Amino acid sequence: MEHNREAQPGRVPLPRFDNSSSVQQAAIARDGGIRRLRRVSNWTAAALIAGVAATSGYFAHANPVAPATSAITATAPTGTGTLLGTTHKPSVSSPVATSGGSGVTVGTSGSAGGGGGGTSGSVGGGGTVSTWLDN
Amino acid sequence: MAQAVLGMPTPTRPVWKRVDVGSGGVGVAERDALGTTARLAVWPPQSLSRVLGAVDAELARLDLEASRFRQDSEISRIHRAGGGIHRVSEGLAEAIRVALAAASWTGGLVDPTVGGALLSLGYDRDFAEIGPGRATALPVPAPVPGWQAVGLDGRILHLPDGIWLDLGATAKGLGSDRAAAAAFAAAGSGGVLVSLGGDIAVAGEAPVNGWPLWVADEHLPSSRSQTAAQLVRLATGALATSSITCRRWQRAGQLMHHIVDPRTGLPASGPWRTASVAAASCAEANAASTGAIVAGEQAVAWLAAEGLPARLVAHDGAVRLIGGWPAADDGRLEAPHDSRLLARSRTDRGRRWA
Repeated sequence: MEHNREAQPGRVPLPRFDNSSSVQQAAIARDGGIRRLRRVSNWTAAALIAGVAATSGYFAHANPVAPATSAITATAPTGTGTLLGTTHKPSVSSPVATSGGSGVTVGTSGSAGGGGGGTSGSVGGGGTVSTWLDN
Repeated sequence: MAQAVLGMPTPTRPVWKRVDVGSGGVGVAERDALGTTARLAVWPPQSLSRVLGAVDAELARLDLEASRFRQDSEISRIHRAGGGIHRVSEGLAEAIRVALAAASWTGGLVDPTVGGALLSLGYDRDFAEIGPGRATALPVPAPVPGWQAVGLDGRILHLPDGIWLDLGATAKGLGSDRAAAAAFAAAGSGGVLVSLGGDIAVAGEAPVNGWPLWVADEHLPSSRSQTAAQLVRLATGALATSSITCRRWQRAGQLMHHIVDPRTGLPASGPWRTASVAAASCAEANAASTGAIVAGEQAVAWLAAEGLPARLVAHDGAVRLIGGWPAADDGRLEAPHDSRLLARSRTDRGRRWA
C-alpha cells in the first residue's frame, strides 16, 4: 500500500530519520536502555526468587505438613503413643507390625486393652493355616 | 481361616479384629488372608472402618487370581488346562509380569517356574496339612524349567506344558502394594500401612519419624526380649522378610523349607536364615529378600550394588547390615524411591548375582 508523503499545504511533515548519525545515536541509546532494563529485570527476578525461597523455607519449618483431615479424636489407650495435634501426623512409638518370616503370623497385637508388644496368635484360632505359598 | 484344603474355600465373610498397639493416633486391625495374617494400620484412626472394604476387595482379587491352593483360582484353572496359550485377567497378567520381571532382575534366582519343584518336594497342599514326614527319597537335583520359557504379551500367556507357576515370591508383596494403594485411596488422606504375613507396604504420609516396625528373623513373634529382632521406622516404600525358619517339613529324613533354589529344584542352602529388604515396592522387596536367601554370600554385593537396605541373618545368628540399613534400634529405614526391579527389567534381561 502506497502512502502519499508529499507535502501538502498547511501541514508540517514529520521529521524523517534519514540522518545516519541520528540513527546511530538512537541505536546506542536504545541498546543502553535495554541493557539497563535487563539488569534491573535480572536483579528483580533474583530478589523475587530469593524472597520466595526464604518465605517457603520459613513456613516449611514453622508448619510441618498437616493434611487437611478431620481431627484425630480417638482416645489414646494404654501405651506411649501421643497426638501432636488435631490435624498433625501422630507420633507412634509402639510397633504396629512385624516383618518376619515368610507368611507366618507374626504381630505385635496386645490383648484387648493390654497395650502393645504382645503377640497375635494365629488369627481365627485353631492354629496357623497356610494356604498361600510364599517362596 | 476356614479354607478347605485343595478344595473350594468355605465362603466366609472376612472378620477384622481391632488391634491395640498402644497408640491412639493410629487405627490397627487384622484378619486372616491368603493363608497368613493381613494387618492394616491407618491414621487418622477414624479412617479405619472406611478402608477395610478396599483392602478386602484387593485381597480377595489377588487370592482368586494367583493362589495355587485354591481350585477355583484363575492360575489353578490354567494349570489344570495344561500348556498352551491362555487369555488371563488383567490382575493375573500383572502378577505374572511382576514375577517375570523379578526373575530377570535377579538373574533367575527368583523364578516363578519353581511350582513343579515345590510339588515334588512335598509342598503340594495346604501347609497345615503336610504330614510329619515322608519316607520317599528326595527328587534328583535339577534346574527348574526357567522363567524364559513363559511368555506374556499383554494379557496373553504362553505357558508350556508341564510348567507350574508359583508366584509366591512376589505376589504377596504385590498384594501389599495393591492393598496399601487401595486403602489410601479410600482414606483420602493421612497414611496407611498394609502387612501381609510380614511383607509391608505403606502409602500416604507416615506418622512422625515413620511407622515403627519390628524386624524379626524367627517365626515366633518378635519382642524386646529377642535380641535378634530390631525396631525400625519406615516412612515410604516397603519392607519384606524371607526366612527359612518357617514353613518347614520333613522329607526322607531331611528338613525341607519353602524357598527353592531354581538351579537345583531343592531348598536353598545358603548362609542366611533370614533376609529383610527395604525397597520402593513390596513386590520388589519380597523378590529381593527371597533372592538373597537363594543367592547366599553373593547377595551381599548384589544388594549393595542395587542400593537396597538389607538385614541378613546367618544361621548362627550373626547379623549383616547392607545398603544403609540402620544399625541402631529405632533407626529410620530409608527405602529407595525408585524401583530397581522395573528399571532393570526394562533394560537388562538377565543381570547376574555377583
